[in-house]
Amino acid sequence: MWRLTRMSLGVALAGAASGCIQVRAPEKPIEINLNVKIQQEVVVRLQQDAKDLIQNNPELFPQ
Amino acid sequence: MTYRHSIRAAALAALFSFGALGAAPAVAQDAVVSAAKAAGTVGEQSDGYLGINGSVSSEVRAAVDALNIKRRAAYTELAAKRGVTVQDMAAVTGCQTLASRVSQGQIYRIGSGPWETKGAGPIALPDYCGTATR
Repeated sequence: MWRLTRMSLGVALAGAASGCIQVRAPEKPIEINLNVKIQQEVVVRLQQDAKDLIQNNPELFPQ
Repeated sequence: MTYRHSIRAAALAALFSFGALGAAPAVAQDAVVSAAKAAGTVGEQSDGYLGINGSVSSEVRAAVDALNIKRRAAYTELAAKRGVTVQDMAAVTGCQTLASRVSQGQIYRIGSGPWETKGAGPIALPDYCGTATR
């Protein structure tokens, strides 16, 4: 009985091995494009700089 | 000794008078440009600088030039700090000035477009301004 169980386990494992998912590296290198986000961050930071500049130097920006 | 003192006194006097002269026009430039903005002869441009619409007095022209020079100095400093071009820094500031420093009835200009008068609503900003909050 024990032997039978071991055998069936072996068969099951073999079956699992043959049906395993193959992971293959993509042919093209993976590129993560951060440019858009970085550009947005730069703009947001510059906008804050601009706001501060106007607030701190009202004489340069008379209304 | 007296001679040296008198030189020092003269230098100090010169410094003080220069300071007084230097400080006075700064306020005046401000006021002159404000008045010209209200009169519709001077307006904000999307490039971050003040522009002149039509012909103005030499006083107004001088005040606009002086403020623009000071603005450029400020843009240059910030641009260097952030690693961007002076033009970009000026243009981003232009987004802000168009959004917050132009009152209804005052004139403004986007790019090399015509001078326009601000209405009741907000100015339609260039796309690159993104979400320039006021």
